[in-house]
Amino acid sequence: MDRTEITAKLTGIFRKVFHDNSLVIADAMTANDVERWDSLSHMILITEIEKAFSVRFRLKELNKMRNIGEMKDLISSKL
Amino acid sequence: MDEFIIRQATANDVPFLVETIIEAEKSGTDRLTYSTVFGLTLEESRKYIAEMLYEEIDGCELSVSSFLVAEKNGETAAALSAWIEGSEGIPSTSLKGNLLNFILPKKCIERAMKINSVISDLHIEYYPGTIQIGAGYVAKEFRGNNLLGILTARIIERLSETNRGVSQIYTQIFDCNTPSIRTNEKLNFKVVMLKESSNEEIINYLPSNKKILMKKELSTL
Repeated sequence: MDRTEITAKLTGIFRKVFHDNSLVIADAMTANDVERWDSLSHMILITEIEKAFSVRFRLKELNKMRNIGEMKDLISSKL
Repeated sequence: MDEFIIRQATANDVPFLVETIIEAEKSGTDRLTYSTVFGLTLEESRKYIAEMLYEEIDGCELSVSSFLVAEKNGETAAALSAWIEGSEGIPSTSLKGNLLNFILPKKCIERAMKINSVISDLHIEYYPGTIQIGAGYVAKEFRGNNLLGILTARIIERLSETNRGVSQIYTQIFDCNTPSIRTNEKLNFKVVMLKESSNEEIINYLPSNKKILMKKELSTL
């Protein structure tokens, strides 16, 4: 799966979790850029990503992710 | 006050920190989000909160390193947490969300998914580079000693000494938590935002449908 495909799949997950069908994600985006991205939404987001990509993250890996670009890198490294 | 020792919390304090988090979450009501949102019993909530604290992840409200405790004659009397928001470039909400994802059973997360859109109405952003005051609690037998006021002043002093340039301090409190609001008002915190949800369902999950954001500038300590 290439980065474009990962982005497309991630966009669908973000739109579902944040109930916003027009949400567009960018590599530099963080939790501070998306309304309602709180701890509960983040927990759900990670769970949905793990489910959709059939991967499991370690806590240390998750705690290094600074933005969506790094999230994509981490997903890519697991596929 | 001379008899109380104020010190950094350690892993040995986790049982008291668990009670602190639980009581702060309840904000004087009987509604604990770990029960209402995740469907956990009180004992299960204690177990999972302790597991998250033992991970020793810094920089969020579930970090042992965020807490100061007050003790007297070897007995823990009070605790309060605070951290610099996003000091390592990761929002505290992400750190807490990662812990929840890692520790809680998947059935709890599935349950929370159905409720999230209701309770996220009261989300207030944590501003990067500011001091965030989190959970605080005083054991019943030690109340009346202004311990939360003392811990708040001390924790701000500690964080501002080690993080030069930080000048703003915030705390988010449910409007029903009158003792905490009064303590912060005495320390010159001012209400700068009120967030209210009109969704009647929210009261099934959270202590109140109103949350306030209080702020103070470091120079007014």
